[in-house]
Amino acid sequence: MSGGGPPRKRNFKIEAFKHRVELDPKYAERTWKVLEHAIHEIYNHNASGLSFEELYRSAYNMVLHKYGEKLYDGLKNTMTWRLKEISKSIEAAQGGLFLEELNAKWMDHNKALQMIRDILMYMDRTYVPTSHRTPVHELGLNLWRDHIIHSPMIHSRLLDTLLDLIHRERMGEVINRGLMRSITKMLMDLGPAVYQDDFEKPFLEVSASFYSGESQEFIECCDCGNYLKKAERRLNEEMERVSHYLDAGSEAKITSVVEKEMIANHMHRLVHMENSGLVNMLIDDKYEDLGRMYALFRRVPDGLSTLRDVMTSYLRETGKQLVTDPERLKDPVEFVQRLLNEKDKHDKIISVAFGNDKTFQNALNSSFEYFINLNNRSPEFISLYVDDKLRKGLKGATEEDVEVILDKVMMLFRYLQEKDVFEKYYKQHLAKRLLSGKTVSDDAERSMIVKLKTECGYQFTSKLEGMFTDMKTSQDTMQDFYAKKAEELGDGPTLDVHILTTGSWPTQPSPPCNLPPEILTVCEKFRAYYLGTHSGRRLTWQTNMGTADIKATFGKGQKHELNVSTYQMCVLMLFNSADGLTYKEIEQATEIPASDLKRCLQSLACVKGKNVLRKEPMSKDISEDDTFYFNDKFTSKLVKVKIGTVVAQKESEPEKQETRQRVEEDRKPQIEAAIVRIMKSRRVLDHNSIVSEVTKQLQARFLPNPVVIKKRIESLIEREFLERDKVDRKLYRYLA
Amino acid sequence: MLIYKLGKGSREKVQQFMTITGASEKVALQALKASDWHLEGAFDFFYSQPQISAANTRRLEEMYNKYKEPDADMIMVEGVSQLCNDLHVDPQDIVMLVISWHMKAATMCEFTRQEFIGGLQSIGVDSIEKLREKLPSLRAELKDDHKFREIYNFTFNWAREKGQKSLSLETAIGMWQLLFAERQWPLLDHWCEFLQVRHNKTISRDTWTQLLEFVKSIDPQLSNYDEEGAWPYLIDEFVEYLIENGFVQRK
Repeated sequence: MSGGGPPRKRNFKIEAFKHRVELDPKYAERTWKVLEHAIHEIYNHNASGLSFEELYRSAYNMVLHKYGEKLYDGLKNTMTWRLKEISKSIEAAQGGLFLEELNAKWMDHNKALQMIRDILMYMDRTYVPTSHRTPVHELGLNLWRDHIIHSPMIHSRLLDTLLDLIHRERMGEVINRGLMRSITKMLMDLGPAVYQDDFEKPFLEVSASFYSGESQEFIECCDCGNYLKKAERRLNEEMERVSHYLDAGSEAKITSVVEKEMIANHMHRLVHMENSGLVNMLIDDKYEDLGRMYALFRRVPDGLSTLRDVMTSYLRETGKQLVTDPERLKDPVEFVQRLLNEKDKHDKIISVAFGNDKTFQNALNSSFEYFINLNNRSPEFISLYVDDKLRKGLKGATEEDVEVILDKVMMLFRYLQEKDVFEKYYKQHLAKRLLSGKTVSDDAERSMIVKLKTECGYQFTSKLEGMFTDMKTSQDTMQDFYAKKAEELGDGPTLDVHILTTGSWPTQPSPPCNLPPEILTVCEKFRAYYLGTHSGRRLTWQTNMGTADIKATFGKGQKHELNVSTYQMCVLMLFNSADGLTYKEIEQATEIPASDLKRCLQSLACVKGKNVLRKEPMSKDISEDDTFYFNDKFTSKLVKVKIGTVVAQKESEPEKQETRQRVEEDRKPQIEAAIVRIMKSRRVLDHNSIVSEVTKQLQARFLPNPVVIKKRIESLIEREFLERDKVDRKLYRYLA
Repeated sequence: MLIYKLGKGSREKVQQFMTITGASEKVALQALKASDWHLEGAFDFFYSQPQISAANTRRLEEMYNKYKEPDADMIMVEGVSQLCNDLHVDPQDIVMLVISWHMKAATMCEFTRQEFIGGLQSIGVDSIEKLREKLPSLRAELKDDHKFREIYNFTFNWAREKGQKSLSLETAIGMWQLLFAERQWPLLDHWCEFLQVRHNKTISRDTWTQLLEFVKSIDPQLSNYDEEGAWPYLIDEFVEYLIENGFVQRK
C-alpha cells in the first residue's frame, strides 16, 4: 500500500436495470401450447385431468409478459378451428337428430366457454379492455353464431327444421317442446337480433301465410259461430306455444298475425254471413257466440266499431218496421210491450255477451231514439200502455214489480222527442182513470208522477198532481155534503161529485145535456151547498164524463143494476114514462149532441148481452129514423151489468188531428218565449244561432221545426220585439 | 238636421225666416245653413234662388186651394183626380207615386196642406205647367238605385189602410206591378200568382222590404239563392213553389 496522498472519493450510482429480462420466446410458445392443449381437452370432455391453477397461472404469465395478443389470437383461432369441426358433425346428423346434435353441441360449447373464460379471466380483465377486443364469453358466442348458425349448411336447415316442427304441431302432431325451448333460448342468447332475423321474422311470415290459407279454408265451409271457435282455438294455441318454447316477446307479434289473418281480413264476411252472422246471433240470443265474437273483434282495429255499426243498422231497420207496420199499430199496448221486449232482449245481450260495453249501450239507445220517433203516435201509445198497466195490468203485482215496469216505461219515454205530446195524452188518460175510479193502485200512480217529475221537472207534473188533489178534496167535500144535508136529501138518488179545477184537467167542451128531473134536483142542491161555502166560483156539469148506477126491473121481474154513462142514464130514464121513443124524440128530450147520442144508443141497443133497449129496425147502425123500446126480455147472468165505461182508447183519425193541432198551437208561445229570452240576453244574434239555441232550450219537451221558428221570428218582428239589421239580413236585434 | 236639435237662438231664426218668407222649414234650414246662420244672408240667399220666392209661396197656396176639399183642409180623391187631369197623366201613373214621395204623403190619395206645398217646394216648382215640365225628370228618379229603394220602402206605409199594420194583398200586388214595371223582374208574375194561390193574407213590412233585396240580389234562376239566408218564410215558400212547378231547376 503506498502511502502518501489524500483519499479518493468513490461515486456509486445506482441505475435501473438496463438490460431487459425477457421471457424466453420459446417459453411463451411453450406456455401457449399448454393452454391450447387444455382448450382441446376441454372440448373433448377431458377437463377433469387439467389443473385449473396451473392453467390460470400460465395465462396470467403470458399476459403479464406482454403476450396477451398471442394468447387472444390463439384462443380465437383454436376455437374457430374447433367450431368448424363441430359444424361438420352437426351437418352430418340425419333427420330428426340434427336439432338434437346442434343442441348437444351447444350445451358443450357453453360449458367449455365457461371453463375457458375462467382460465383466461386475467386476460379478460386486463388485456381485453385495454386493447378493445371482445370479451371471451361474447367472443365464444359470436364465433358460434358465425361458424355454426350462420354456416351455409346449417343456417337454412335449422330454420326449416324449426318451422317444420311448428307446422307439424299446428297440424296436430306432438313435438319435442323441450328441445325447441332449448334451441330458441340459444338464439336469444346469441342476441335478440339473431333470434329475430334468423327465426322470428321468417316464423311470422310463414305463420301469416299458414293462417291466411287456413282461414280461407274455414270460411268457405264453416258458419260464423264455428269459424270463431276455430279462430279462438288457434289464438290460444299460439299463446300457449309462446309460453312453452318461444321468447315472450314473440307473443304480441304472433297473436297480431293470427288476429289479422283470421279475423281482420274476414271481418265483414263474418259479420254479414248469411244465416249465421251477427244479426242472426242477435235474433237467436246466441250469447256464447256473441261473447266470443266480441272478445275476438276487440283485438283488431275497427273490430268493435264494425260490430256496433251492423248492430245499429239492424236495430234501426227492425225498429222502423215495427213502428210502421200497420198490423202492429192496431193494439197500442201490444205495440209498446213489443218495444219493451226488444229493449230487454238487447239489454241482456249487451250485458251478458258484450260485457256491458258502454259504446254498445249508446248505440242501442240511439237506435231506439231514432225509430221510436219515426211514428208520431208513439207518445200516445206509450201513455196508453201505462194506462193499461195502471188500470189492470199491475193487479196483484208487488211493489218492486211495479217499479221495474214503470222504470222500463220511463226508458222509452226518454227516447221520445215529442214529450209534450205525451204529456197531453197522459193527462187525458189519467183524467179518465181517476174519474172512473179505475186505477189499480194509488201508489203506482204517484210513483209514475214522481218519475216524470224527476225526468222533466216540476212544471211537467204540477197539473197532474193538481188532479190528484182535486180527487181527494172532492171526497172530503162529498162527506161534508152528506153529513150536513142528509135529511134534506132523504131518499133521492145518491150523488158523488168530483170537482175539477179547470186549469189542471184536460180541457173539454161541455156540451148540453138535459138531466132527468130527479137528478137535476139533487144536483142543484149540491150546487147551492158548494157555492155557499165557495163563493165566487162557477160550476159547470161535465155530463160527458160522468157515470150512473141504475136499478132496473125487467119483464119477468128480474132486477139488475146497470152501470152506465151519464148520457146513457138520461136516455134510459126517458123510458120510465114511455115504452117506445123515436130517435128524434130522444134527441129532443136529452139534447145530447148527435155523434155522442148515436154512440150511446148503439151501446144500449146493439151490443149482445147489454141490449137493455130494443131497436127497430134491428140493424147494426143507428139511423135517425129508428125507434127504441124498453127491452122487457133482457136477460143477463150477472146482477150488475156494465154498459159502456169511459175507457181510454186509441184516438180516431180526426181526434188525433185535433190533438196534434192543439199541441202545435201550444208550441208557438213556447218557441216565442224562448226566442225572446235568448234575444234579451244576447241583444244581437244571427238567424242560425237563434235556431240552434231555441232547439237546445226546448229539446227536453219537443223538437222545434226551424220553419216554425222562422215564422215566430217574423211575427216578433211584426210586433216590434225584434228588428232585422239594416245591412245584414241574417242578423236580428232585440228591441227593448 | 232636425229642428229640435238646434239651439234656442237658431230655432228662433228659423221661425222668423219662415214667417217672413212663408217658406217651408226645409227651405229655411237650407238658407240659414248656407248663410252661416245670419238672417240677412239667409234672406239674400232665399231671394236669389230663382225657384223659391214669396210670390211662389202664394202661388202654391193658390194651387193648394184649387184642389183641396171644400169642407176639409185636405186634398182628397177628387182633387187628386183633377190634379192628374191637369198634369195630363193617368192617376195610376207611377210618377204620382214619385210626387207623393217628395211630398212625404202619409196616405195614398190624400195630401195635407203641408205635404202638398212642402213637396212642390222640394221639387222646385210653383205651377202646374212647371210641374208638368218636371215630370220626365221625376220619372227618371226611379232609375236611381238609392232613390228607387227609398220610394219602394215609402210605398208600404203610403199604400196601407189607415190604422193597419200590414198591407192588403190586393194593394200590394198592384204596387208591385207598378214598381216592377220600371225595374224589370222576371219572376213578378209568378210571385203574384203564388201569393194569391198559397198565401191569401196581408203582407208584412218585413216581407215587403226583404222582397226588394231578393229582387236585387238573387238571379231569376235562383242559382245564388241560399236556404240559410234568413229570407222571410214567405220567400222560402215562393222558392219551393217555383221549384215544385218546374219554373226553376233545383240545384
